[in-house]
Amino acid sequence: MGHLTGKEYLVDHVVEIAKNICLAVHKAPTITGKTKIETEIIWGDDLLPIIEVLEPIAKAVRYVQWDYETIKSCYEKGESPVIIGIGAKVDRSNLGWNCGACGQPTCKDFNNYAKDLGGGGQLGGPSCNWKILDFAIAADWACASAWQYRVDNRIMGSAAFGLQAFNYLPDCNVKLALALGPPRDMVYYSREEMHRKITYEEEKQDMLHTVPTMFTCFPGPGNPMYKSKNDWWAPPEYMNVEYSEESMDALDTILYEEVPEIIVKHADAVAARYKK
Amino acid sequence: MKRYVEDLDFQGRERISEWTPYSAQDVRRKKGALEAARLMVNSALTAPFAGGVAQIEAELIYGQDNLEELARKIEEIAHTNPAWKEPFLYEAVMVRDSDVIILIGNTRCHETPLDGGCGMCGGGLDCSYFYEKVEHRYGLVDITDRRSETIIKGPLCTARVDDLGFAVGSALWTAHTLMVDARPFASMGMAGQKLGYCPNSGIVVGVPVAAKSKNPYVDVNVDYHLINMDKALDNTRKIFMTARLLRGFDYRKWIPKPAKETEED
Repeated sequence: MGHLTGKEYLVDHVVEIAKNICLAVHKAPTITGKTKIETEIIWGDDLLPIIEVLEPIAKAVRYVQWDYETIKSCYEKGESPVIIGIGAKVDRSNLGWNCGACGQPTCKDFNNYAKDLGGGGQLGGPSCNWKILDFAIAADWACASAWQYRVDNRIMGSAAFGLQAFNYLPDCNVKLALALGPPRDMVYYSREEMHRKITYEEEKQDMLHTVPTMFTCFPGPGNPMYKSKNDWWAPPEYMNVEYSEESMDALDTILYEEVPEIIVKHADAVAARYKK
Repeated sequence: MKRYVEDLDFQGRERISEWTPYSAQDVRRKKGALEAARLMVNSALTAPFAGGVAQIEAELIYGQDNLEELARKIEEIAHTNPAWKEPFLYEAVMVRDSDVIILIGNTRCHETPLDGGCGMCGGGLDCSYFYEKVEHRYGLVDITDRRSETIIKGPLCTARVDDLGFAVGSALWTAHTLMVDARPFASMGMAGQKLGYCPNSGIVVGVPVAAKSKNPYVDVNVDYHLINMDKALDNTRKIFMTARLLRGFDYRKWIPKPAKETEED
């Protein structure tokens, strides 16, 4: 007997759906049959370190801002998304295929390279390409499974950076995060959570930076004017490509000062979970 | 108007069976698998991609001659590497036993990388691992020198290869949903690429599709390249004829009977 009302039970149930999705990840067919794939589920207050570490990056990287604002806003409304961490061990090859896809002539060379120079990438690496394909098939099965349960979801490299930063899934060196729920339409597509978070000017500036040809005037002179405002001819503006010390300094501050500070704050607590 | 009249006469009868191979009834069955394969390719194209960028091409291969060509290429490749020899020879048999082979390739992984600095290719902080190993000018990759010491010309943008995996995963998910058998194979991808399928791709994965009583891609016996259904049937044709001609009698006048029956006669 029972009578469920309100929305809380639905939010809780997303965790159960996440467990079902993890079953699909581990059932996914693979090419090599030799790739170690793991899953973890994180939600509620346990998302706070991930939200915290995304905050400084969100200031400099728009797509991270997008995911950060969405996850944070849902959490603050009491509708925490459930994050499924999916990881794989891909930086050593036990295949002996010597196929060359990784850029090394043999698997042995790849393993030597990985041992000496690997481990510095934001999202892992280096990678055996066939093992990456196995990992990606499994990650895709997570997404497909989530759609079949009709729970809004999005696979994220941004939240995966959080997994990588705190060394969640410690035996894996490539990671992706599937954000699941809350249970409603349009959480991660046409995001309502982003309303009033980005100004018209910022949107316009992003377009100018990312699709500059849309704003280019007659290119005949070789150094064309740019239509960056309504009266673009008075006075005209020109594009320039240059090293930006300001941008690099900002990025360095985020990656080498702010992010490590947050990592140090939570790393022990995260590591302790794997010692049991 | 003609089509309208045809629609009024909508009736028909189709027999479908997997026996005998490539008979009319088997080809009708294969056409069903081909439709499933087409839907699988649609699913592959809707998979999540980094930045939502289109980067997948696919080809469908079916019919005895085309499958045989692919199987022979796999057998050729099998003998170039001890790690491939047995598994690839087994997989060549699976090609012959398939209804359709889907080849799915990534058209950007070797030429137009993600340029995201993710480090998945070389484990570094930027895209230098890729660009230092390919011929390029200011980041525009020149792929015209297609010679390669290895079967795949690396390095590849691993983020793009990751996206190819998503495409293959979605194709496989749809296969499971449609209850057709399918699995992903490197051998079929590499052989298909060597034969010129998916010509714009840096790496190709093969996904064979079958709708038969037995899933052709699991539960194989040892020495599967020597002992399989085709070989068993051929062996029967070879042995049974000889076994038959050793017997000599005119069946119209006398047929040997079991001992008891003979006594009653």
